[in-house]
Amino acid sequence: QQFSALTEVLFRFLTEPKEVERFLTQLSDFATMNKISLGPLKNIVKSILLVPNGALKRNLSSEQVRADFIALGLSEEKASYFAEQWKVNSPTLTRLAVGQTLMINQLIDMEWKFGVTAGSSELEKVGSIFLQLKLVIKKGSQMENVYIELTLPQFYSFLHEMERVKTSLESFS
Amino acid sequence: QLVSALHNLTRHVVYHGLTRAEDILSLFPEDFHQNLKNLLTKIILENISAWRNEAQASQISLPRLVDMDWRVDIKTSSDSISRMAVPTCLLQLKIQEDVALCGNSPVVSAVTVELSKETLDTMLEGLGRIRDQLSAVANK
Repeated sequence: QQFSALTEVLFRFLTEPKEVERFLTQLSDFATMNKISLGPLKNIVKSILLVPNGALKRNLSSEQVRADFIALGLSEEKASYFAEQWKVNSPTLTRLAVGQTLMINQLIDMEWKFGVTAGSSELEKVGSIFLQLKLVIKKGSQMENVYIELTLPQFYSFLHEMERVKTSLESFS
Repeated sequence: QLVSALHNLTRHVVYHGLTRAEDILSLFPEDFHQNLKNLLTKIILENISAWRNEAQASQISLPRLVDMDWRVDIKTSSDSISRMAVPTCLLQLKIQEDVALCGNSPVVSAVTVELSKETLDTMLEGLGRIRDQLSAVANK
């Protein structure tokens, strides 16, 4: 029982790594409930967490996780329980790890407006359509705004190219 | 003085978009030499659309797109996962700063952006909406 409660706490933290506060609170609740002191519990938890992180890095199956735990000295029942939990949670964990992968100059947002040029200092009456795009790009830790103007033919070829990219990406997934 | 006068004349014609010979002829003073007037009008009429296009091309504007390239990569591993197969797209846009500011040596900068599949889908949705709005405006 203790072990399953602890495992649950661990996995909840792994699937939501931002909820550090909640994880620490749950750990200290667990400690007081089971009359263990928090210090050693934290150490144990740290070592336990090493196993799923390593498993994720090396794409281990739940069988391999179970074997690892048994090799580390955990009882077979507990190791199997953990491996089960691992199998259930691994898609979420994998997706999280992939999401953390390095992205260069990631496109965050795109805004647009289009309109008609009515006149200019050179030409009294114009009437041509323009499209303005604003791309918000994440460069390192800062956001950069890029403003671009496109003519209509440029927009249509841009759209065409992007559709080709989509087909290409889809054929690879 | 002659060049300046000619310049003013052509600017006036382009600005007002005069396309008919009569309109241009009426600009000349009464006692202007007839043949010269006709010759000038003919030359102006020949060049007017080229001048108009150039004026439009060198209008002030936001930085303009001049070229774009893309490539699709597959990410196979990273420091957090040793094996995966995630496709991603790199898009490079070549942008030219305002033509009026650059004069004869245009400054072209390149912006490279990485797009995940989700980002690309959202972007295509947005572009599709632009296309629908454009055709709605065109059909009105």
